[in-house]
Amino acid sequence: MDLEEKFWELRERREGAHMPHVYYGDPNEEFSLKLIRTLVENGADFIEFGFPFSDPTADGPTFQAACERALKKGMTPAKCIQGIKKLRRSGLEVPLVVTTYYNIPYVTGIGTFLSEIKKVGAQAIIVPDLPVEEADVLLNEGKKWGVHVIFQAAPTTTEDRLKKIAGIASGFLYVIGVEGVTGARESLADSTLKLVNRVRKYTDVPVLAGFGISRREHAAAVVSAGADGAIAGSAYAEIYEKNLKNPEETLPEIAQLVKQIKRGCVEGYRQRLGNPYDH
Amino acid sequence: MKKGRFGKYGGQYVNENLIPVLIELEEAFERYYPTPEFQEEFKGLLRDYGGRPTPLYYAKNFSKLVKCKVYLKREDLLCGGSHKLNNALGQALLAKKMGKSRLITETAAGQHGLATVMAGNICGLETEIFMGVKDMERQASNVKRMKLLGAKVTPVKSGTGVLKDTVSDTLREWTTCSRTTYYLMGSTVGPHPFPEIVATFQSVIGMEIKEQILEKEGRLPDAILACGSGGSNALGAFRSFIDNKGIRLYFVEGGGESLSADNSAAAFQLGKPGILQGALMQVLQDEHGQIKPSKTRAAGLNYPGRGPEISYLCEIGRVKACYAFDEEVFEAVKVMCRTEGLIPALETAHVIAYVLNHKEEFDKDEVIVLNYSGRGDKDLETITRYFYGS
Repeated sequence: MDLEEKFWELRERREGAHMPHVYYGDPNEEFSLKLIRTLVENGADFIEFGFPFSDPTADGPTFQAACERALKKGMTPAKCIQGIKKLRRSGLEVPLVVTTYYNIPYVTGIGTFLSEIKKVGAQAIIVPDLPVEEADVLLNEGKKWGVHVIFQAAPTTTEDRLKKIAGIASGFLYVIGVEGVTGARESLADSTLKLVNRVRKYTDVPVLAGFGISRREHAAAVVSAGADGAIAGSAYAEIYEKNLKNPEETLPEIAQLVKQIKRGCVEGYRQRLGNPYDH
Repeated sequence: MKKGRFGKYGGQYVNENLIPVLIELEEAFERYYPTPEFQEEFKGLLRDYGGRPTPLYYAKNFSKLVKCKVYLKREDLLCGGSHKLNNALGQALLAKKMGKSRLITETAAGQHGLATVMAGNICGLETEIFMGVKDMERQASNVKRMKLLGAKVTPVKSGTGVLKDTVSDTLREWTTCSRTTYYLMGSTVGPHPFPEIVATFQSVIGMEIKEQILEKEGRLPDAILACGSGGSNALGAFRSFIDNKGIRLYFVEGGGESLSADNSAAAFQLGKPGILQGALMQVLQDEHGQIKPSKTRAAGLNYPGRGPEISYLCEIGRVKACYAFDEEVFEAVKVMCRTEGLIPALETAHVIAYVLNHKEEFDKDEVIVLNYSGRGDKDLETITRYFYGS
């Protein structure tokens, strides 16, 4: 299923989207496969499928540890690609968005990397250390292979760059609500709300808000402010990392959280529809 | 060449969060650096506080061993004990002009951290230093100095607790506070404009070498050698001479124990182009693109990446990429102690080791300059343990 189709379906159902982010292979492949299925069965509309990297500079401590554990267990980009293949073979239908730091596709060859992830069934790619200024090659290859390149916008992004980013956005735009790195936070910064509203001036492309979202209220807040959905990642990793010997035991708790966050996305969307000032 | 690029190397591979502050930094550097006030303040501080110009010393006894005329550019005599202050003072002044109130940085050998807190104090800026736990152990005396000077020293435990991990953590910290805080990058690495800014502030070394060698020898040197990982002391020494094609330039990296897998920091020997911490550069990595930890006894050379400019200069053959092994480095320390009565930093000793082990590359009538980047007080423990046991 393509991203557009999914967003269409969600609009019909009057729901905000939820995209959980996982780093594949943490603490092992088998668990990641189960985790992704659990997330999808309990409300996830998209999956952000992270390829672990040794130096994830845009990730906070939770995901740094996740990458480290996965790499220690021998995770490789090739195994990640196999992982996507396994998920598709087992009938997983939701859109998959690959997240990887730029060195991994760079050493593989950008075109080769994109053709491979497309072949196994991914629809889009996020490269957190690749701003628009450096993205020509990725954009061209993305067009060639039919992979959406997802860009990010941050609270510090200036107005003219925001316009530029919105102009080339395809699939959806990822807004970073906080000045900082990924990680669950107690309360959601107001800047998320402001940024979503700023982005809305320039683009109709769906907007997903991420960084710092770990609870139902967070998801409801960003969606009611105008985002089409919410991304959460570290919040899930924080649950299973407490029981790394038997992470499967934490799946029920993860299922609860994903249901909650998805509910927040739905509530936020309906609040927004009910808002007479919304156009 | 595209702005911020050295050949294909360089660029700005950072999260969107940081792009606006990098643009702000580039604009500020272009606005303030060329002004007479900035130049006057910077040069005044280098002179009166730092002790510049540093001497160019004819090392007569050492020369006898090498069988050519060897000069040492005495950056060990710069206040703080290494070349690091040149860059720290320049950037701290820039941070002050930009209205920032706080400096953050990372350090491995501790020399750059020390220089940063010194410069921060002069400019009235708070300083926080990130340092790998492993480096804090092996460079304990510099940790004490930094604390005494008032820096907050924050241990970094992630990864293997060395420079690569602290750069990542400092970048992360910066994304949360870039409106008030200046990241004082210590070497010619990271996203544009850092490599250019650092090389510019360090280029005072080469400008002095040129003037001093003309005065002493009446001609330019035949070769200049410097150690490095990111490349700041090397580029500082080289930049004035890059267009003089007749002058050979040597860049000596940390060979570690051996060039076999995982025992070295020699990225020009064992690495390939890749993206790490904001820039495309020569970097140690595995076949999947995961960055490999580097290994050398010299904390200041223990970084898996070579900065974009030095990566480019080595690629086009303008600079020769060389290395020295740990064992040779300790021997070189001993030689320098005995011949000239100087204890070099382990980083600096790499250059000395290279010259000692490659005498055949230098003719007897040649004049060569070693950039003597720092003194070895900080390594005293390590050095004495190596020779005499604990």
